[in-house]
Amino acid sequence: MRIFKGWPMVTNRVEQFRMGVWARGAVVFSLLVVTSSAQVLGQWVMYPTQNIPRLADGQPDLKAPAPRQPDGKPDFIGFWQPDRMRDCTPDLASRVRLTQPCTPGERVAVPNGPGSVPGGLPLQPWAAELAKQRTADLSKDDPHNRCQPDNYPRVYWLPHYTKIFHVPGELLMLNEWNAQFRQIYTDGRPFPELMHPIYSGYSIGKWEGNTFVITTKGFRESEWLDTAGNPITGAATMTERITRPNFGTLNLAITIDDPKAYTKPFTIDMNMKIMIDTQMIEEFCLENERDSSRLFGPGGGNKP
Amino acid sequence: MRTMVTLAVASLAGLLITGVPVIAHHSFAAEYDASKPINLTGTVTKIEWTNPHCFFYIDVKNEESGKIESWALELGNPNALLRAGWTPNSVKIGEAVTVEGTRAKDGTFLGNARSMILISTGKRLFAGSSQTNQ
Repeated sequence: MRIFKGWPMVTNRVEQFRMGVWARGAVVFSLLVVTSSAQVLGQWVMYPTQNIPRLADGQPDLKAPAPRQPDGKPDFIGFWQPDRMRDCTPDLASRVRLTQPCTPGERVAVPNGPGSVPGGLPLQPWAAELAKQRTADLSKDDPHNRCQPDNYPRVYWLPHYTKIFHVPGELLMLNEWNAQFRQIYTDGRPFPELMHPIYSGYSIGKWEGNTFVITTKGFRESEWLDTAGNPITGAATMTERITRPNFGTLNLAITIDDPKAYTKPFTIDMNMKIMIDTQMIEEFCLENERDSSRLFGPGGGNKP
Repeated sequence: MRTMVTLAVASLAGLLITGVPVIAHHSFAAEYDASKPINLTGTVTKIEWTNPHCFFYIDVKNEESGKIESWALELGNPNALLRAGWTPNSVKIGEAVTVEGTRAKDGTFLGNARSMILISTGKRLFAGSSQTNQ
């Protein structure tokens, strides 16, 4: 496949990758670079991202078509953060919890993560009691406070951001918090027979048309799904259906089937928005963690 | 001058695009008391530009007792502050600042900062507090 007329034929998958994931965007999008790019003083936090589709005024065109990989599949490459603003559509209320009906065409703020499930989470009685106790304790025992790694899918609704890459044989997610990685294998492998439980679980992925479907099992036993303390257990199977409706948006429909903690499967429908002109920077929690010894619920605190 | 203007434009464009991460991720209410707001004016004595939270230490004169109180103010992490327009040099040791925020539940000289004002210039910096959207 020729990327540009006159360029050498690119057939080798490694060579395609070497062309640069951002270079793929150049096939589709105009190459209007921020005029100041040559003069930004190398600050990685603000370093301009290349090959961003731009409007006539130079602003990024987040509604531009989503980029495609060389094989025609949607390209999820980007640095992503959760987006709590959604476009009101006729079906929005069936996908996320709304406090009041929305007007088609308007933008509405929606709850974050599990709190967005219409009708609430279908918790088993013991799980409901556990979450109630954790919430009453003001989440003082949240493992996130103690620099524990974050489990998926909780990573998605924490304020530490994810960069997604397509590499041969897998989709790779990197997260700033504790430099965490997650591998979703697309090489057709089955789940391992013996799964040592891990924070990210074991993930395999495949395309169904323009939707990337991830199936994950093998979570650790007693993780927190959110700050409220809703649990996710080792019995959970998670299915994520991810699409990229336009350049600036990823939509994730995350279905969790955890019969140990929940009476039926439920789906968290969320958007992520692209972060441009900034770079991933590591965030290591143990560098200077001070809060965990100062957390108090109504019944008191914990010893450090 | 042109370089600085261009840099400022690029910075502003970056801020508008990336936004400020304001989603609460750990329980603010377990550590800070929303019924105890603080508004402190003092001199910066120490800066810890670290994860998971930056800390600024300021000496504040207690108007009633006349004593100098050494306060620790917790801000967002470096990534959040950098993307909100801070640099590690935005505030200097010895600088006079006013901090708006919330006091810790344990009653110590600790607060969670929502914003910091540089008295010499009047510039206001948002502090990436985890109180937002709690």
